[in-house]
Amino acid sequence: MKGVKDFSINKKSNGWLKILIGAVVLSLFLFVVNIFVLPIKNSFYTISSPIEKTFWTAGESSSGFLASLLSAGSFSEENQNLKIENQKLLSQVASLQSILQGNQAQSDVSATCQNSGFKLVMAGVIGLDEDDVLSINKGSANGLSEGMPVISQQGVLFGKISKVYKNFSKVMLVSNKNSIVNVKVSPFGGSPEGGQQSFTPEIDGVVKGSGGLGAYLDLIPISSEINPQDVLVTSTIEKSFPKDLLVARIIQKEKNDQKPFQKAQISLFFDIKAVDNLFVVTNYKR
Amino acid sequence: MWKKYLIIIILFYLFALLQNSFFVHFALFGASPNLVFALFFLLLFFERGGIYKVIFLSAIAGIFLDLFSDYYLGVSVLLLSLLAFLFKKLLALLRNDEEGAQFVYYLPLFIIFLFAYNALFKLFIYFFDASKGLMFLSEETIPYLIYSSLVAALLFYVYKKFFAKKTDNRQLRLFNR
Repeated sequence: MKGVKDFSINKKSNGWLKILIGAVVLSLFLFVVNIFVLPIKNSFYTISSPIEKTFWTAGESSSGFLASLLSAGSFSEENQNLKIENQKLLSQVASLQSILQGNQAQSDVSATCQNSGFKLVMAGVIGLDEDDVLSINKGSANGLSEGMPVISQQGVLFGKISKVYKNFSKVMLVSNKNSIVNVKVSPFGGSPEGGQQSFTPEIDGVVKGSGGLGAYLDLIPISSEINPQDVLVTSTIEKSFPKDLLVARIIQKEKNDQKPFQKAQISLFFDIKAVDNLFVVTNYKR
Repeated sequence: MWKKYLIIIILFYLFALLQNSFFVHFALFGASPNLVFALFFLLLFFERGGIYKVIFLSAIAGIFLDLFSDYYLGVSVLLLSLLAFLFKKLLALLRNDEEGAQFVYYLPLFIIFLFAYNALFKLFIYFFDASKGLMFLSEETIPYLIYSSLVAALLFYVYKKFFAKKTDNRQLRLFNR
């Protein structure tokens, strides 16, 4: 009987010993791995990049094909072209608005902000993780560093570089839960009443990421009038990004008179599913 | 034997790549499925093996999840190891001889453990960086869980059809030939 008891104790202690050894080995391994995290991740992305890019392109074309099947026609492509054209026009509207407000000096800077004066580095999109962080195939070797703004060809803001490896970078999208962007409401950005030119004071607010490629507009003073379809562009008080970059369009406002600020549901301009290349502004300094 | 482990590693790698590139284009309400976790759970559910196998599966799945995330390497490895041991204990209590009953507890357990993994991950990150904020439930949580569980269910039936081999106690095995 005594022998049986001893045996069970030994068996139990063996199990604990195994767990302890496993935990120690695992902890040591993770500790060593984290010392070399930058070169490890960079090498991993370098190896994975061609396959990942292939999957990305395959997903893009498959989803486009599926969308066109579902819409029973070429609505998807047409819609995409219209979106791009619309974004270009909205970008021009945002630029012209400054001129109309009579500040020539400001408009010169604004024109600069329309990307012409910026040094841009083109980067290919290779992946997206759950936290709305995008992977691009350019890194510190290409002159990229943390905090640099990332935009599309049409001047649509995507986000900023959050982490840089030698040949790769991570871009924190505007929809990331930790992202906050100062924006202004473009007064006649296609609102239903926007046909007439009105010189209303600038309405400032912030676009906060909500994850899942979504965001919302917040901190708009309750007294300010915003409308669905109004366009949001980066404001002059924004430190991380150049001004007048396209951010989103207002879908529905949520006004509560008991609160000092109003919120709004918005639709971000960036379309991650339709983008292959992005541009990193490497020389923007505030 | 080593071939089996190599195949598992390659499968995890492919699933991680698909999750972060291909399935991004098929997001539902902003959510993409967690393929790596689905595969991890599937193997954990069907595979027999001791502590080292559990650690191996947790380490491989965790490393691929961490390599594609923006945080420290090892967070997912530790969390998956913890959850894997809990799951194995729970499975030992639940396992019965009714073959059809397996799916009945496979899917609910998958959803519970995926939610637990995400919640623990957020808690872990919050512990190191409080500025990140802590929110266990968000708009995309439900679509994420549903989408991932659909993939998990599909994997379950694919595994059962092509790889499962009945044994004496009707447990299923992978690559046990």
